[in-house]
Amino acid sequence: MLKELYLIPVVVYILSYFILLPREKKLYKLFIYLIYAGFICQSIIFFIFLGIKGLTVPVHIDRFVFFNAWILMFIVVLFSLFYKVEYILLYITPLVAVNLLIGFFVPHVHIKPVMLSTDKTILLTHIILILIGDSLFALAFIVSLIYIFQERKIKSKKNLKILGAKDVSIPEALHSGSGYNLELLDNINYQCLKIGFPFITIGIVMGIYLSSSLFKTFMIVKPIEIISLITWLIYAVLLHERVAKGLRGKKAAVFSVIGFLLILFSLSFSFYLFPVFHGLE
Amino acid sequence: MDILIIGLNHKSAEIEERETVSRKLSTFELRRSFASELLGLQDEVGRPLIKEIAVLTTCNRSEFIMDLPPWTYGKGGHIIKNCIAKYFFGDAAKENIFYMHLNEDAVRHLFSVASSLDSMIIGEPQILGQLKEAYNEACKLKTNGQFLNKLFHRAFNCAKMVRTETKIAASPVSVSYAAVELSKKIFNSLDEKKVLLLGVGEMGKLTVKHFIKYGVRNIYIVNRTKEKAHQFIEESFGVIEKKYLNVIDFSEYYKLLPQSDIVLCSTGSEDYVLKYADIVPVIKIRKQRPLFLIDISMPRNIDPEINKIPNVYLFDIDDIGKMIEDNMEIRKQEADAANKLVEAAAKEFMNWKESLNVVPVIISLRNKVKGILEIELSRYIGDKKEKDLIINSLTNKILHEPTMLIKKASANPEEISSIETIKALFNLNSEDLTETGKEKENEAVKKYIKLIK
Repeated sequence: MLKELYLIPVVVYILSYFILLPREKKLYKLFIYLIYAGFICQSIIFFIFLGIKGLTVPVHIDRFVFFNAWILMFIVVLFSLFYKVEYILLYITPLVAVNLLIGFFVPHVHIKPVMLSTDKTILLTHIILILIGDSLFALAFIVSLIYIFQERKIKSKKNLKILGAKDVSIPEALHSGSGYNLELLDNINYQCLKIGFPFITIGIVMGIYLSSSLFKTFMIVKPIEIISLITWLIYAVLLHERVAKGLRGKKAAVFSVIGFLLILFSLSFSFYLFPVFHGLE
Repeated sequence: MDILIIGLNHKSAEIEERETVSRKLSTFELRRSFASELLGLQDEVGRPLIKEIAVLTTCNRSEFIMDLPPWTYGKGGHIIKNCIAKYFFGDAAKENIFYMHLNEDAVRHLFSVASSLDSMIIGEPQILGQLKEAYNEACKLKTNGQFLNKLFHRAFNCAKMVRTETKIAASPVSVSYAAVELSKKIFNSLDEKKVLLLGVGEMGKLTVKHFIKYGVRNIYIVNRTKEKAHQFIEESFGVIEKKYLNVIDFSEYYKLLPQSDIVLCSTGSEDYVLKYADIVPVIKIRKQRPLFLIDISMPRNIDPEINKIPNVYLFDIDDIGKMIEDNMEIRKQEADAANKLVEAAAKEFMNWKESLNVVPVIISLRNKVKGILEIELSRYIGDKKEKDLIINSLTNKILHEPTMLIKKASANPEEISSIETIKALFNLNSEDLTETGKEKENEAVKKYIKLIK
């Protein structure tokens, strides 16, 4: 079963948040190290699964959710190390922990993708690409929310803390001031979009291919396809506006938030409401 | 001899109201004409209401520091306040935005202002310079007298003492520091950013220095007179700093706006230098890259509406000040220590002022002793020069202790009876002591001041 293993990183993550409670600046670094430790636990579990079954399409709901949580955390850790913005871990980790808990509590149900028998590699690539793309957009979503709140603070000139102030907020203290700025947040948002968009595009194309091979027609009108295309279109417009017209800042952040909400909607739509349309039995 | 301060600052008035006052006092000529108008105020019997006056104007405050003759006390102060409110707002109802401090309160207030304890940014260094400027102007206009002279010099001393004995000015928090911190909230790295400084001034200088310290390497300075900008650079910056500074022609700064990431505005202009319509196209050309505008001038030079444009962040002097006030706990602790110093200095000054009230007693006592010595010594010494020398020396020696006692008694109400004892001992009659004319009083005070000097 191995489901109990999911609890190890969850416990580490919860523990790390307890460290923040006394609001001692010295302990903030320890918080970051514990989050990384949690991610290492997740990775070890992931490789254990990989060792047991090899790289195959996850056929159990809990494995799927776990896989999703691992990819999301992997991408966030990469970004946090590359851009030196460890404070984003503060916001993403709860999402990951909730994902892991869902993975622990959902029954070990076997899901049967219909086309599993037909085109395994394309199905696996479709899943991986979409998950990477969605994780990037999830990161863009969180970063956009931070941007919107931070921008509002600066515009309204209220509750602005500068260094030397007694009660600097935790994310600012985590990053000792630098790095917690609008330009970088906007840049991360842009990078997520630039990298995530090709993943999502190829993922959707593969999805359409799989769907057409399943239903024997090319692009029959199905809710999942319509929502996916709307989402794709929103991100396409956003990318175009950014590249061509230099759209930045709050508008771009709001776009990202809307885009990700649509993704959440389409995922829940396709998995829970109309699983058949997504090729699930 | 009452000290009266009437004024308004960031605590008593809104920025728009301060701007109105600041505009009407913006030039030396305007200040001169208003000061002489105030000096011309008279009571019902035609006596002047104000003896001496100095006008202090800074970014955040405008104050009139006055010395009043004895008859102005009470009602006169309100007449002056009324007149000031009418002059600036055309409406006496606005007088509630002006505060009024009298005597000890006034001295304490002035000392706090000089020590930068009453400033929006506690501990900022510019206020002392501005106070000196106000004093120099009063000297130029000849509206100062021995009383204001003493008051201002004591204020300068007090400010110096506060600076050296507390840490109020030690931490680098100031408008310039806040400006850099704010830009770090907007921009990721300051190395590549371009800063445009409109106008030359002390605050602009400090902010530019801070930006250089934090890595900005492209700074453009614009001033209406280019020579003044060159002179400003020459006088204010070191050799390395000068490398990063460029002077731009005033007519060309519009072209530079789209390339600038941070714009600092500290011109003496009375109108908006940057308007809403100027910035809308700029931000389009910038492809929505963020633009940070800092307005450190009073009256404001950047239209506050600009803050509504997306990706443009405008902070004026009030916003920055409020932000610092909210943030700086350490400074507040130091301010408590500084307040105690100010309190002591104000008390000392008031003692000096009170001691002036006993000047007639001291003078008549000296005259009495001198008279006796004169009569007695004339019998034995013929040489006038030698005689005067002996008389003065003996008077000083004999009266040293009683004079000290009188001065001490004047500052302490419990010992005031000792003055009466001295009067009785030496039979100082009321004629000697009554101040019949203003001239007599002034003369006595001048003599006394010479004496204590």
